[in-house]
Amino acid sequence: MRLSSAATTEELVIVVDEARIDAAVATRFKDSMRRLIGGHRKPVIIDMQAVDFLDSSGLGAMIAVRKAMGEDRPLILRGLTPNVERVFRLTRMDSVFDIRPTDPPEEQTS
Amino acid sequence: MTSTRRQNADTKGRIAARTQPMFNRVLPAHPAAVRDTLGDIRRRFAAEVGEDTLARLELVLAEVMNNVTEHGAGISVEDDPRRAPSIHISIVRHVSGLCCAITDDGASLPDDCLQPRCLPSLTQPELPEGGWGWYLIQDLTQALCYFREDQRNYLAFSVPFSEEARPL
Repeated sequence: MRLSSAATTEELVIVVDEARIDAAVATRFKDSMRRLIGGHRKPVIIDMQAVDFLDSSGLGAMIAVRKAMGEDRPLILRGLTPNVERVFRLTRMDSVFDIRPTDPPEEQTS
Repeated sequence: MTSTRRQNADTKGRIAARTQPMFNRVLPAHPAAVRDTLGDIRRRFAAEVGEDTLARLELVLAEVMNNVTEHGAGISVEDDPRRAPSIHISIVRHVSGLCCAITDDGASLPDDCLQPRCLPSLTQPELPEGGWGWYLIQDLTQALCYFREDQRNYLAFSVPFSEEARPL
């Protein structure tokens, strides 16, 4: 599972470097994510730009990660590709997750 | 793929226009085999079908085959890969979409899978981590039908072409 994480003073940014979060890897993805996120208490940004495909197993893994963090800790999903965005939209999970536009320019980050 | 090239090789376009691309495969219900098959399906139809339709097709087929992989054997396939059901998938391009037939020799499909689905309530502590697959299948397909005969499940449906991206 190729995940890289970098913590700044304000947040933990995790970049998912996998093309597919599907049934073949969903459990590993969930476990790796929980390990990365569990070591911090900061808000988390997950960069999904590299993910071309996510199925309901992958969505389930994202939901498990969201639940493991607790409601008070912010989780932002960034850089959703169209196919990944579709799964969040069709399941109305776009109203549960904080989804930000793809690749926001640096100067707009505040 | 040579068969694709052969089908589309007609320079006058007459035969090519009438030939409907097809995909046929038998595979074990295993996540790696499902992944490989989805990749091959994408490549098979990439020249004739728009990206939006291909993406919906891929998602639906992933959900259907994942279900067989996860539930078809009645046990965890990882415990004994030899007991993985066998999936047979056929896809044919029709005028309005891609018609898919998927059969498997795994456990019978529970009745409630094909009942119209509502999304679960979206309150966060109770959000379900599973059960989204059939919702997506129902949402993305047309003419979904299922029957069980002898030891096999038969599932058929159509994935419609998107309006903005008509097939060639």
